[in-house]
Amino acid sequence: MGGSQDKPQLIIDGKRTDGRAPGELRPIKIEAGVVKNAKGSAYLEWGNNKVLAAVYGPKEAQPKHIADPNKAIIKCRYQMAPFSSLEEHNRSGPNRRAIEISKVTKEVFENVILLDDFPGCEIDVFVEVLQSDGGTRAAGITAAAVAVASSGIPMRDIPYAVSAGKAGDSILLDLNKLEDNYSDADMPVAIAPREGEILLLQMDGNLTKEQTIQALDMIKKAGETIVKIQRDALEAKYR
Amino acid sequence: MKVILPGDKISDSPVRTENAIVENGKTYATVMGMLDESRGAFIPLESIWYPREGDFAVGIIENSKNNVYTVALESPFRGLILPPPRPRFGGRGRFGDRGRPPMQEERREIMHIGDVVSVFVKEVKREADQVILILDRPKRLFGGKLMEVRSSKVPRIIGKDSTMLRQLEDGTRCTILVGLNGLIWLKGENVPLAQKAIWKIQEEAHVSGLTERITELLAGNDNGNSNNEGR
Repeated sequence: MGGSQDKPQLIIDGKRTDGRAPGELRPIKIEAGVVKNAKGSAYLEWGNNKVLAAVYGPKEAQPKHIADPNKAIIKCRYQMAPFSSLEEHNRSGPNRRAIEISKVTKEVFENVILLDDFPGCEIDVFVEVLQSDGGTRAAGITAAAVAVASSGIPMRDIPYAVSAGKAGDSILLDLNKLEDNYSDADMPVAIAPREGEILLLQMDGNLTKEQTIQALDMIKKAGETIVKIQRDALEAKYR
Repeated sequence: MKVILPGDKISDSPVRTENAIVENGKTYATVMGMLDESRGAFIPLESIWYPREGDFAVGIIENSKNNVYTVALESPFRGLILPPPRPRFGGRGRFGDRGRPPMQEERREIMHIGDVVSVFVKEVKREADQVILILDRPKRLFGGKLMEVRSSKVPRIIGKDSTMLRQLEDGTRCTILVGLNGLIWLKGENVPLAQKAIWKIQEEAHVSGLTERITELLAGNDNGNSNNEGR
């Protein structure tokens, strides 16, 4: 997102730079159970994004002082591989952005996993972005949700996440990297579909109330497709 | 049979069952499973072993300190084998009511770090900062092989009224101890065949006609691919 003078035109003749309609998702593919050593795992391809998620635990929380005597804690690590992107992520180790996304991902799962069942324990969620093209936090949450569901850790719902944004007067769904960098707004949202609970809502840029409602409607509609892909990935494990 | 995912409704009324929660008067699944609508039974495909009193488990002695053994059980919680209570003599005899010191030396000789033991869960105890499992009736298992399966598949490996387990034991001439935690100890004549059969049960637990396929495998007529190395 930015307001530079020489920003590219994101919508030409009603189509986006990659040929999609404003409300269209990129193609999504999910495979569950790809990491044999993990309790649960998933590999996701979302457009040009490639994300691997793995879940371990519940196990005794270490170090002891971080354990919660009443419930399990979630440790989440979102990480972009040094080779995942063209420029800014080319060093290994966590940076400010990775720490922030790890935190918001953790908070999404704190709201759906039944943590009270495992007092004093920890659950580890790892999200590794192998190739990135915008919207990786949403892709990471969607992949991690499938990984948690395939692990047998009890959860209330399988969340999904997707972003929406604005270019000129058009509301766009599922922004890619170019749109993410040059659009007027970017709003990633994670939702627990059963009750429609919003578990994550961040916004970069400005949207009016009407535009926000329109973007949320678009996200909820796209959620039906994403949920179906998540279900198919989990059911395919037992076909 | 219908595949159910976490968050799917399994009943319109509140039903108290494992691996489900009740919200707004309706029952929702919390893990992946199969719903048998005719019987109203929900069978989990993946789940975490949540220990209960009386559960049988197989574990490995992890530590020994002050006559207390710590047992690794592939469980979220730590398992402890405590020393036996001091026998008391009623305050009359030669020892008064001081009791006898615990038999430390003898017990240390019995179990060492790395030993495989079978235990029963005596108590799930909620301490100030964690949950610990008090274990009972420890029995050291000599020799044999230890393998790990997903704990949600254990009921299928044991079978209804232990039929599957008995079939495995008879077909391979092995002694098989199946812990509810997913650790299995095997010893006997044809351990590799028993392992192969158990892996096959784990991978195909949800596919009907499993008993026939296991019978064929044990009889040496297996054509299927069951070389999966467990989880």
